[in-house]
Amino acid sequence: MSEITPPSSEALLLVRGYKRRSMQRVALVLLAFAVLAVLVIVDVTTGPANLSIWRTAEVIFDRSIATPKEDVIIWQLRLPVAIMAVAVGAMLGVAGAEMQTILNNPLADPFTLGLSSAAGFGAALAIVLGWSVIPGVGGLFVSVNAFVFAMLTSGALFLFTRLRGVSPEAMILVGIAMLFTFNALLAFLQYGASEIQLAQLIFWQLGSLARATWAKVGGCFLVLALILPWFMYRSWALTALRMGEDKAAALGVNVSLLRIGVLAGVSLLSAVAVSFVGAIAFVGLVGPHIARMIVGEDQRGFLPLSALCGALILSGTSIASKAISPGIVYPIGMITSLIGIPFFILLILGQRKRHWQ
Amino acid sequence: MSIKTQMCGFLGAIAASVLFLSPATDAQAEALTFTDIAGREVTLPELPDKIILGEGRMMYGIAPLIDGNPFEKIVGWKNDLVQYDPDAFRKYEAVFPEDAARMIDFGNPYAGEFSIEAVLEAETDLVLLDVGNLFKAEETGLIEKLGNAGVQVAFIDFRRNATENAIPSMLILGRIFGEEKKAAEFIDFYIAQMRKVTNIVDTIPAEDRPLVVVENAAGWQTDFCCWSFGPYNYGRFVELAGGKNYASTLANAYSVELNLEGIIEADPDVVFGTGANWKEAKPEVTSTLLGYEGDPEVNSDRLAALAARPGFADLRAVKEGRFHSVYHQFYNSPYHFIAIQVLAKWLHPEDFEDLDPEATFKELHDRFLPYDLSGQFWISLKN
Repeated sequence: MSEITPPSSEALLLVRGYKRRSMQRVALVLLAFAVLAVLVIVDVTTGPANLSIWRTAEVIFDRSIATPKEDVIIWQLRLPVAIMAVAVGAMLGVAGAEMQTILNNPLADPFTLGLSSAAGFGAALAIVLGWSVIPGVGGLFVSVNAFVFAMLTSGALFLFTRLRGVSPEAMILVGIAMLFTFNALLAFLQYGASEIQLAQLIFWQLGSLARATWAKVGGCFLVLALILPWFMYRSWALTALRMGEDKAAALGVNVSLLRIGVLAGVSLLSAVAVSFVGAIAFVGLVGPHIARMIVGEDQRGFLPLSALCGALILSGTSIASKAISPGIVYPIGMITSLIGIPFFILLILGQRKRHWQ
Repeated sequence: MSIKTQMCGFLGAIAASVLFLSPATDAQAEALTFTDIAGREVTLPELPDKIILGEGRMMYGIAPLIDGNPFEKIVGWKNDLVQYDPDAFRKYEAVFPEDAARMIDFGNPYAGEFSIEAVLEAETDLVLLDVGNLFKAEETGLIEKLGNAGVQVAFIDFRRNATENAIPSMLILGRIFGEEKKAAEFIDFYIAQMRKVTNIVDTIPAEDRPLVVVENAAGWQTDFCCWSFGPYNYGRFVELAGGKNYASTLANAYSVELNLEGIIEADPDVVFGTGANWKEAKPEVTSTLLGYEGDPEVNSDRLAALAARPGFADLRAVKEGRFHSVYHQFYNSPYHFIAIQVLAKWLHPEDFEDLDPEATFKELHDRFLPYDLSGQFWISLKN
């Protein structure tokens, strides 16, 4: 029985500091959760129809007391949109965060890597030419086309990673090449589109929560439930990756396998999100940066907070889009950037240290 | 104000027709000069023989002017008529099979596919464009390029400010085709039919005008509603027919995207959508397939399905049977007085008891069009 040496005061401080940081991280994530809950409530209680907060809450907790009008407004129009905003925001936030991580680049996100443009092109094929990539999907074929094209693009990115000696930088460049290719193809289709197709196309590209349904909300949460836990499970390896590929490899992480697995997850997240609500820029790029400024690189805080930041941005946008002019639907993609950027700039200006090394 | 604008439009048009008609006798011999809807002065050395239509649906305006073959001077068009109103195209095809077949599809004039070379190859004298695309035509340099090649461009309009520009557009078409007399005859008919509605609507006080929600191309997007018109096009038709257009209260824009919740809250008195046979170009549409081949049974099922969409089913207008659908293509045609008569009956059934839009439409076909009326062009929900 050996004598236990009392820990030095330095080590104690270190442990205490670590515990404090862990607590802080948990507290910050919980705080973000609380803010998100408030935003969702605001989202559900605002709209052109004048329903009081209490009545809305009553109807949410007990659907049977609702008048037909309240039932439609709250259960079929507002709730799916509000929850879809949370789901899609979280999906884009997580997708952006992990893309930035595996590609080691602050500009990586589903939008800048061409996934959204590919989805847009798939949707345009459906809208302008009436082509369905997978036959027999009926009225869903715009979404299906968008999904297939986004997945094909990430498949191409994936194949690229299998090429020998390909660096993350090269992958980013390929992503940007995809972005421009699909934008050009999209413009080609737009050029020949009739006005009604053009309106539909522009509306699709700017993104909209207006077509949210419970089935789509369910689909989004299913994908999140599949992928988020796995990302959390790999959070140590991902954190290690951010310290450098060599260091991660030295710590026993199979870097290329990790990168491929995460890319597959990210692709699924963003393809589903984009195919349901259209291309929404900004959320996947900026959500993770905001999270990083608040909690740093440790994935255990960074990942959930990225999801929450994405959800917060989109939820806020959903509220703003209704507030501009009641009765009119504004595409959210148009507003995400407008309301998100001032906040983002403020955060950057308020930061002393560099957050992307 | 709307009545005054309308009056001014009519008076201006009548005055213009007098000016147009007087030098018409020797138009054949000398240069033809007129001001188009964009306000541009267009001079043609003589009556054009070869004309390209920026939109195939311009045939709606051309056909009533020509007793013989309306395609005689047309060498090409955009295939929008073939794609989005195949019923009407087949009507023309049945009467003039060779002409419909020889028509060159020049594609979208504002897009890359429109070949100016092909326009020159066809020895075109005149390209007719829609005024809604004036900016695009200037920006893409289309007018300039065609002008440099000696091809004239003229703008007409049956869509953007349809009711204001229909008469001047018909006058322009009358001059271009050397059919001023027939144009005057059509305009006479047009004014008479419009007056049947506006004369009575003028006496309806503002508070008696029902709130109307228009859904542009209802069912075109299967998972989304609702595109609507601001105070233009069908939005304007609603006002002329004695209604208050809901989207006009929100935005002064040609196209407005409505929030379904806002519609439920506004509780409109009447809701109607537009529909046409889009199924051939876009099989997934759930819209009513109105037009020359419109089948009442099919359309009544389709209208019932549109009424049953979540959010619509509980609208007062739907429950009380004031949910309708009308032929979409009236929105881009000088026949919009038919739509206005139909709307007037929907909005004020008692005031317009004696009005018979079906008879008006039949008369239009009998007097002006090379084929007979058939199919179905409007439908109401039966509860």
